[in-house]
Amino acid sequence: MVLGLERGVRIGTMSITFGGAVLGILYLLGNIQGGFPFDGLTTYFLFLLLLGQGISSLYGMGYMKKYEGKKSLTAFSLAWLVFLGSMAGVLIVNHGFYFLFLWELMSLFSFFLVIYHHEESANRRGAFIYFVMTHVGTVFLIAAVLYLFSKTGSFLYSDWAAFAPALTLGERNLLFLCFVVGFGTKAGLVPFHIWLPYAHPVAPSPVSALMSGVMVKIALYMMIRMVWLTLGPVELWWGILLLLLGALSAFVGILYASVEKDVKGLLAYSTVENIGILTLALGTAMIAQLFGFSQLVTLALVGFFWHSLHHLLFKSTLFMAAGNIIQTTNTRNIEDMGGLLKKIPKTGLWAIAGGMGLAALPPLGGFWGEWLLLNSLWKTSLQVEGVLSIVLPLVIGVVALVSALALATMAKWFSGAFLGQPRSQNAAKAKELPWMQTTAMGLAICVTVLTVLWPQGLLGVINIPLEVLSASGGSVVPLSTLSIYTDFLRMVVSFALLLVLIVGALFLISKRKQKRIEGTWNCGVPLNPRMQYTALGITMPLQIVFKKIVAFRPVIRKEVGKNPYILESMHYQSRTGEMAEKVFYRPFTRLFLWCAERIRVIQAGSIHLYLAYILITLIVVLIWNI
Amino acid sequence: MFIIKELSWQVFFFSVLHIGLFLLAAPLLQGWIKKVKAFWQMRKGPSVLQPYRDLGKFMRKEEVISEHTSWVFQLTPALVLGSTILACLVIPGPLGAPISGFGSLFWLVASFGLARFFLVLAGFDAGGSFGGMGSSRELFIGTLAEPGFILSLLVFALMTGSTSLTEIVATLHGTSLFEIPRILAIVSLIFILIAEMGRIPVDNPDTHLELTMVHEGMLLEYSGPSLAFLNFASQLKQLILLHLLALLIMPFDGGSFLSLGGQMNLGTLFSQGILQIVLVAFLGGFFATIESINAKLRLFRVANYLAVGLGVAVLALLTLWITKGGI
Repeated sequence: MVLGLERGVRIGTMSITFGGAVLGILYLLGNIQGGFPFDGLTTYFLFLLLLGQGISSLYGMGYMKKYEGKKSLTAFSLAWLVFLGSMAGVLIVNHGFYFLFLWELMSLFSFFLVIYHHEESANRRGAFIYFVMTHVGTVFLIAAVLYLFSKTGSFLYSDWAAFAPALTLGERNLLFLCFVVGFGTKAGLVPFHIWLPYAHPVAPSPVSALMSGVMVKIALYMMIRMVWLTLGPVELWWGILLLLLGALSAFVGILYASVEKDVKGLLAYSTVENIGILTLALGTAMIAQLFGFSQLVTLALVGFFWHSLHHLLFKSTLFMAAGNIIQTTNTRNIEDMGGLLKKIPKTGLWAIAGGMGLAALPPLGGFWGEWLLLNSLWKTSLQVEGVLSIVLPLVIGVVALVSALALATMAKWFSGAFLGQPRSQNAAKAKELPWMQTTAMGLAICVTVLTVLWPQGLLGVINIPLEVLSASGGSVVPLSTLSIYTDFLRMVVSFALLLVLIVGALFLISKRKQKRIEGTWNCGVPLNPRMQYTALGITMPLQIVFKKIVAFRPVIRKEVGKNPYILESMHYQSRTGEMAEKVFYRPFTRLFLWCAERIRVIQAGSIHLYLAYILITLIVVLIWNI
Repeated sequence: MFIIKELSWQVFFFSVLHIGLFLLAAPLLQGWIKKVKAFWQMRKGPSVLQPYRDLGKFMRKEEVISEHTSWVFQLTPALVLGSTILACLVIPGPLGAPISGFGSLFWLVASFGLARFFLVLAGFDAGGSFGGMGSSRELFIGTLAEPGFILSLLVFALMTGSTSLTEIVATLHGTSLFEIPRILAIVSLIFILIAEMGRIPVDNPDTHLELTMVHEGMLLEYSGPSLAFLNFASQLKQLILLHLLALLIMPFDGGSFLSLGGQMNLGTLFSQGILQIVLVAFLGGFFATIESINAKLRLFRVANYLAVGLGVAVLALLTLWITKGGI
């Protein structure tokens, strides 16, 4: 009986994966033959969705095995399936009402997936914050969609786009802001990002991988669809707002990531950073479009699409690595890990490759997206006039700081978990996980390696959404006419090949001599794992320098004995807080609670009072109608 | 693949020569800097050829490896040296750089980043306190130095309208050194380069004392050929950075750059080469002097120091913006 159920679930998950792939091929074929009413932008994001879900489903098949017989896998598979379907639906529909319905479905079922471990109260809290935040965002979307419906009498995007030029500037600005808040909440833009670090760590890892890799990008897809293709032509300050919001998100996200000690919370904050970088690219593209620099629009958009794919790949890989670590060590705290590279070598290998993507290091694809973005920012700043020509170079400085912080964050994550000596019993006993859980990671890394060795292939795919944006009256030019096209291809390929050749040769030279294995030098004192730097300690200097932003408050209690110079015991607690919660949300919640308190006056709980209310309402309505 | 199709023997020979010259000169610069420091300390000091002998000695020695380390530790020396060599490829010599395309400036920064990432990981890998100490500090200093480094290079990119280092140098040639943005950017670079090269007042390259060490802390577990590689890589990085600074002060004539369609003229080649060697030697002496007359900063004061570097770079950008009529 149990065996039958297990097999059923596994086959079910497998069929979902393959079903998704087949469906994807059908969609693509349909698109080529004009059978489906969607364009290249949708196709590109569907490609991301199918890639991400394929990898995560494969991983999930291994990961969820642990729950067999303990929790309902059928419920998980069902929610997973509906979640995937609703994401695909959001991408495909061109109708506002269905969009809202599917969007809500996507939020709801991702919430069910996040709350899968509902036994722990911390998890319920994380999921609840996600639930509230995503609905706050949706309110703005409903408002925008209904407003557009009331103006045009239609739910079709194409009708809206046709009507948009007739709207006043004020209306368009307001709609734009609604979309930014609505989609920004889902994407995790600062200051609407606070749900990510709560929801991602508590969700099962395949769900985190999918949400972080794909779902947040669907919000960006909708941002392009609504702002660029429907509300457009864009205003200058829209582009600037997205640029600045993106820079802020990137900086704040990675700064919080660098002080985080939860192995998945760190990755969640890094998603905030990457969404910031993507939004920044989008903002740059908008600014360039307004000034009519068609080459630069293409450059920024290529950066955007390139980075969306690579973020999906490396972030999924890292979340899967985190999942493997959590399953084998039973902890999410980096302080209790260490030395895992020897215990789970395959996971470690793929994790370091993914980590190089996150840290924006060549030769893998994570760096080249940033390269495109930096070049497009630089070139745009060279051509625009006025204040923007100084803002854009400073944004480059921010991106430089962000990528340096990303390097530090990733070094902390990887060395804390994988290098050195095990810091706990569980870490010392860690064992490699089933093949599906490492193969899925390997597949993702293979795709990034492929894109670096054959960048023309990916650029060809990126051409598909670019054509849509250029057909929409924008000034996007074809990719191959970019003056830097060959330079870019040459650099991507030659960096990878030369690095492998040179490092390979040097490695062979350095390994000729014989080796002796000895202990680590420690001034003659026996070495123990507690002598290592802790994960907190690795980035502590940064935490101290940026203590205002990360709200760092150390609590130190010292106890001295009779002799005041001899310390008997010491207690150290390090706390960091979320600035956005304090500055942005607390006033709102306080206002909300204050209003609720006032309203409570009329809610006495007596049935007579409510009957009186009904009567009064009736009278008011009657008078109104006269 | 199209890269291989374009690769001619001439280009190959030129690239090998370019890298070879860098590799050959790097220890000499180190020896020269040590000699200048010895002069300020009223010592005779070791011969300028001593770094070559040290490297040779390390290469012949047996290697001791910690039992706690993983493959990251063993791969790091080759990777650090390899990515530093990749950084050489975009720095123009008298004949230009082997890789001179658009955006080669970011290639330079990225290859240093790659080297730093693996060096930091290797520091943690042995599981002792000292490696972690060096790595953590390196992350701190490297993170704060990066924006200043990119912004001050960006000033030159904005001045010349190119992100290719070769074109930047070629366009700068013949323009006046005494433009305010350029001077400020060079001053900022001097601040940042001290941190990047690991010299006093940011880091002390001569000691393994745990209170002061940053770069040396990460190398503590290395011995034999691996140590030779890492020392060589840091000497090479030092040469690259000083050479770059010298180029930004007194650029090569772009007329002889092969990638820009220039002609090889042995006379100018020779005179420019000599001038460049003199300038790099002068800069090396300059940094050795700064190192001799300063004390190392406390770690958290380094943040202020680098903030000054960053501030000067921002100032350079602002003045460039104003002189270009941005207001």
